Amino acid sequence: MIKILAELNMNNYEKVTENIYRELISICGEKFVIYRDPEKLEPFSHDEVTDKSYHHMPEAVVRPAGAQEIAAIMKLANKYKIPVTPRGGGSGLSLGAVPVFGGIVIFLDRMNRILEIDSKNMVITVEPGVITNEINEAASGIGLFFAGYPMSLQSCFIGGNVAENAGGGKAVKYGVTGRYILGMEFVTPEGEITCLGGKIVKNVTGYDLINLMTGSEGTLGIITKIYTKLMPKPTEITDLLVLFKNAEDAINMVPLIITESKIIPAAIEFIDRLSAHTSCRYLNEDIPYEKAGAMLLIEVDGTDKQKLEDDYEKIGSLCMKNGAIEVYVADNFTTQERIWNVRRNIAEAFMVISPEQSLEDITVPVAEIPKIIPELERLSAKYNIQIPCYGHAGDGNLHVTPVKNPAQTHEEWKNILPSVLEELYIETGKLGGVISGEHGIGYKRKKYLKYSLDDTAIDLMKRIKKSFDPNNILNPGKIFDL
Amino acid sequence: MKIIIPIKQVPETGDVKMDSATGTMKRDGVRSIVNPLDLYAIETGLKIKESTGAHITVITMGPPKAAEALKEAVAMGCDDAMLLSDKSFAGSDTCATSYVLAMAIKKIADYNLVICGERATDGDTGQVGPGISAWLNLPVCTYISKIISAGEKILTAERLVEDGYETLEIKGPCVITVVKEAASPRLPTLSGKIRAKKLTIPILGPSDINAHPEHLGLAGSPTKVVKIETPKITRNGELIIPKSPEEMEAAADKIIKYFHKLDII
Repeated sequence: MIKILAELNMNNYEKVTENIYRELISICGEKFVIYRDPEKLEPFSHDEVTDKSYHHMPEAVVRPAGAQEIAAIMKLANKYKIPVTPRGGGSGLSLGAVPVFGGIVIFLDRMNRILEIDSKNMVITVEPGVITNEINEAASGIGLFFAGYPMSLQSCFIGGNVAENAGGGKAVKYGVTGRYILGMEFVTPEGEITCLGGKIVKNVTGYDLINLMTGSEGTLGIITKIYTKLMPKPTEITDLLVLFKNAEDAINMVPLIITESKIIPAAIEFIDRLSAHTSCRYLNEDIPYEKAGAMLLIEVDGTDKQKLEDDYEKIGSLCMKNGAIEVYVADNFTTQERIWNVRRNIAEAFMVISPEQSLEDITVPVAEIPKIIPELERLSAKYNIQIPCYGHAGDGNLHVTPVKNPAQTHEEWKNILPSVLEELYIETGKLGGVISGEHGIGYKRKKYLKYSLDDTAIDLMKRIKKSFDPNNILNPGKIFDL
Repeated sequence: MKIIIPIKQVPETGDVKMDSATGTMKRDGVRSIVNPLDLYAIETGLKIKESTGAHITVITMGPPKAAEALKEAVAMGCDDAMLLSDKSFAGSDTCATSYVLAMAIKKIADYNLVICGERATDGDTGQVGPGISAWLNLPVCTYISKIISAGEKILTAERLVEDGYETLEIKGPCVITVVKEAASPRLPTLSGKIRAKKLTIPILGPSDINAHPEHLGLAGSPTKVVKIETPKITRNGELIIPKSPEEMEAAADKIIKYFHKLDII
């Protein structure tokens, strides 16, 4: 059914013809338009979702230099009814940057300037193509940092972070990207340029369109300039790797860490037995992981070394009192890299077992996390697949990742995966959770949106989309079908 | 059994930046860690401790800040620590450094084994371990890759040599330096960290270890650094991008000829 709808929609769009190609060249210059070159277009047909059945080729890729050029492209696309998909670093996990209906991909890599670092206002103004980590490198010189921390910060673009309202490992203490976006300039789907907010902290002037744009998954506008709030950079960081007998003990510990110690760690990451063992084996890591049924990785940060020592001792002792087998302390780069590597390499370690997997990012209220674990065990047994579970437990956001059993055929896997996800999402909803906490709905999860939102909410969202984009030109086929 | 492990605090290598004008390392704001290769020495000692109940003393020569490195070793499981710190030690080369460490080891006395890392990641000389043995007139075995058995009088160990391994029996007390293969270092634990924090580390100067001033610091250092420079990279590569099957053939021929010239194939 969805396939048929997609095809119907597709028929409403025109193709990128030779004439349109020439018009794109007149806007951006020949050097910055890719057309009829499958090899060069291919990298723009996917993001980090590996399942090839989701990949779609664009007809043209343009690399504009600024907002004016994007506005001209959008006007052109509206005139000829060509779909346009904006793209950042391509590290997304919801197929948000995939041109489902072909058309034009706007790749923002050339808009990669840091426009201003204003230390007095603690605001950095950037273009969308700046790699997130470069913001930190630039801010570091004046003792500041950008507290949004997606795991892909070495490769993702800030524009994509804003469009997806990216989360990541440090949301427990610092929240997600949206908390730091004070203003933006963007091009509307119809090709107008507008500006919201600025270097101001408080702003209730009209509807909060900044927060609407943040996390709109590139469906409501193309962000061309971002005002980002910076924070004082913590000078001291200590990580604890805590081994527990079982997942229950580890997960039960998560809410206790904050409620009992009254300390908010920068990160609380959960690693289940399967993930810990697979990653440690993959890394040849000698941590005595065999005895661990689950692990927590807790990061505390601050500016006072003594205070930080007290904090981690308090949290570590609390864990020992509540059934931890061992607490390892990493307060320098060498040991910190070692324990974060266990967490960072989980996905890659499972790729070795089976590249066919579905990286999910359900979010439940923190106190409900213990209830999701038995459900995963049930699903795992029912469908005879591995479902490692790891992620940002401190904010209730878990990377539940069904992995194809190598004994299953591709067809068997394709048949069971929707049922696995459906059952997982229904259970998540029952616990008061949502189907995506940081990756977004995009193209990958749109058929499951109903498990988190009722008809009224979805209808309101569709009406918002139509008022922004009457011709449904910008990033169509994402979040929901109009 | 009593083991002594001399270690060094070094700059975090991920952090090191060179001053292109002077050719020296920029030390401002660079974080310090235990020399990564000394961690293998510590772990080797801890493994022996597990099987024999040995007592481990970890020592270092350095500024007061070097006590942090000793505390990390104690947090991993070493029993006690000693810091050798005095203005007269400043500017020591490997000869003077090994003298100070050797005098400290003499002061500790009644030891069976001294375990050193292969070398430090900053100086990269690998001379301090053998230097200590020379000052103490003890047998030394470098590049130990495996401890087979550690007795109070005899140590049996495997040593990494150019064409394989050799098994040695060494009469104690002796000095060994270990390579990466010897042991994979454990992480410090919370209880270890708390113990290390409470531990008072004695700070010893030259008179405490009966060191002669002529062997210390610059005066005791025969090594004179004339100039430090960053070596120029002389490697250069050639990128061949064939655009047709014919060019591909030609490219393959070119590579084969090149390998023949180098005598690789």
